[in-house]
Amino acid sequence: MTAAVMTDRAAYVPPANYKLSAAGLLRSEWTKLWSLRSTWIVLLCAVVFSAGLGALISSSVPNDQAVGGADVALSFSMAGISLSSVFVAVLGILTVTGEYSTGSIRSTMSAAPKRLSVLWAKAAVFGAVVAVLFGAMVFLTFFMTQAILSDTELGSVSLSDEGVLRALLGWTAMIVYLALLALGIGAILRNSAGSIGFYIGVIMILPQLAGLLPWSWVDDVTPFAPGNVANTIAMVDTTGADLSLGQSWLWMGIWLVVTFGLAGVLLKRRDV
Amino acid sequence: MIRRRARRTVLGMIEIEHLTKRYGKKTAVDDLTFAVKPGVVTGFLGPNGAGKSTTMRAIVGLDAPTSGLARVNGKHYSEFRSPLTEVGALLEAKSVHAGRSAYKHLLALARTHGIPKRRVNEVIDLVGLHEVAGKRVGGFSLGMGQRLGIAVALLGDPAVLILDEPVNGLDPDGVKWIRLLLKGLASEGRTVFLSSHLMSELAQTAEHLIVIGQGRLLADTTVDAFVSGSGQASVRVVSPDAARLAEHLAGPGITVSSPERGVLEVTGTEASVVGQTAAAHGLVLHELRTDRGSLEDAFMQLTADAVEYRQTTEGANR
Repeated sequence: MTAAVMTDRAAYVPPANYKLSAAGLLRSEWTKLWSLRSTWIVLLCAVVFSAGLGALISSSVPNDQAVGGADVALSFSMAGISLSSVFVAVLGILTVTGEYSTGSIRSTMSAAPKRLSVLWAKAAVFGAVVAVLFGAMVFLTFFMTQAILSDTELGSVSLSDEGVLRALLGWTAMIVYLALLALGIGAILRNSAGSIGFYIGVIMILPQLAGLLPWSWVDDVTPFAPGNVANTIAMVDTTGADLSLGQSWLWMGIWLVVTFGLAGVLLKRRDV
Repeated sequence: MIRRRARRTVLGMIEIEHLTKRYGKKTAVDDLTFAVKPGVVTGFLGPNGAGKSTTMRAIVGLDAPTSGLARVNGKHYSEFRSPLTEVGALLEAKSVHAGRSAYKHLLALARTHGIPKRRVNEVIDLVGLHEVAGKRVGGFSLGMGQRLGIAVALLGDPAVLILDEPVNGLDPDGVKWIRLLLKGLASEGRTVFLSSHLMSELAQTAEHLIVIGQGRLLADTTVDAFVSGSGQASVRVVSPDAARLAEHLAGPGITVSSPERGVLEVTGTEASVVGQTAAAHGLVLHELRTDRGSLEDAFMQLTADAVEYRQTTEGANR
């Protein structure tokens, strides 16, 4: 022990080369996401259901079904994708609520005490993973199912047909939007069961039931519900849609801003 | 004109100023003020529910104080550009996702600060988790969870260590190990602040002591002063001639009691005097020991007073 340490006991200086950074937080969230078995299981299920259900439903289309058009053909293809979006939404919820239920949020927030950057990093990493995975799955499923449908009266749809490429990218964007919305809900409610219940009940099912309610104004607002606003961007022919393409994107943005704004405010204010 | 610099915060100092934290109507911490200095192990003593954890959570910014301040190096924890190198904290064992391996948990935290994998492996070896580092934390025992928590606290090689009940669940070897580890870290000039409700544990590890009860400061003193200032040391004697020895020991200021046959507890004198008395009269001793372990008693006295005080004030307000 040196004399300096003896006289000034506060001589310990921590390492200067370790710094908290945005890139570090992104890498950390990446590590956290892939180090859980549940991520692999859920995403594998999503892939299997996307392709499997799409193929199964497409191959069971009656040969003589001729009515429909591109949107019907696409809806057969994407049946599995829309189911898989639920898996992905649940995984999005769990990336946040899992930290609260296990207590690992305390470690996380001790490392990044400004907190908000953790939320952005989680959303960015999860959004990017979903975008890449579903970007691939949407197109893979599309080509596979259209090959199956080409033998039917309905006929296959080509990527070069007008609006098809846009609709497929729209499907991908819709899944990413729903995944992020779910993650934001998880950050607001902080509880796995509550968040999953809210997502399935309020985001997915309630807008479907709303049409049964006796008030006419409900029909007017239902298209603007967070679970419905993305529908238009996944259509090949948007002429009959409740929202225009532009409105669809705008409202997706609004709901994400509202959700993450609320999540951010609550994250800053509440004790961990 | 000579202007003296205003009192500066010492590097590594933890300062708690008028800290109050209420959860709803319940006051967990009540106007608490104290400082923890670097270079020594400081114990944080109090019964369960005294507000130890709440205070520690406030220091690392997990709980926002209702009023008052909790600062390290004169800064609020969230102002640090590299929090993990400033303060390492073990708050609750298993602040870890049960499905993640110990290695990945540490790696994920390390990545936020650009801490290399080499350092992750270093702390894993240091806490003795090498063999189970790749296993899911869900299967860890309480002791293994504590070791992982200590690894997390040490990850950034921080200047300040805050450990909430680090000894809980550790086996005797582990307890000895952490005692030496903490003393070593403090001797390097770091600030080491650990809480416990086990008074005997802190007596062996800490030099300084902060005692709280019901969220209030009861004592801020050295361990030696705390023990000697409250309980008297007593001498315990085991002898087949206990009755005769008791007669010879009797004198002004000396009390002799016999909790069981053949055993004496003597206060007001010292072991050396008891030994000499026995030798002078040719009495056989089987055991002669000074009991300073009255930290428990001292602590009970303090907290009992605090409870009484609170109850009378509450009664007056009613």
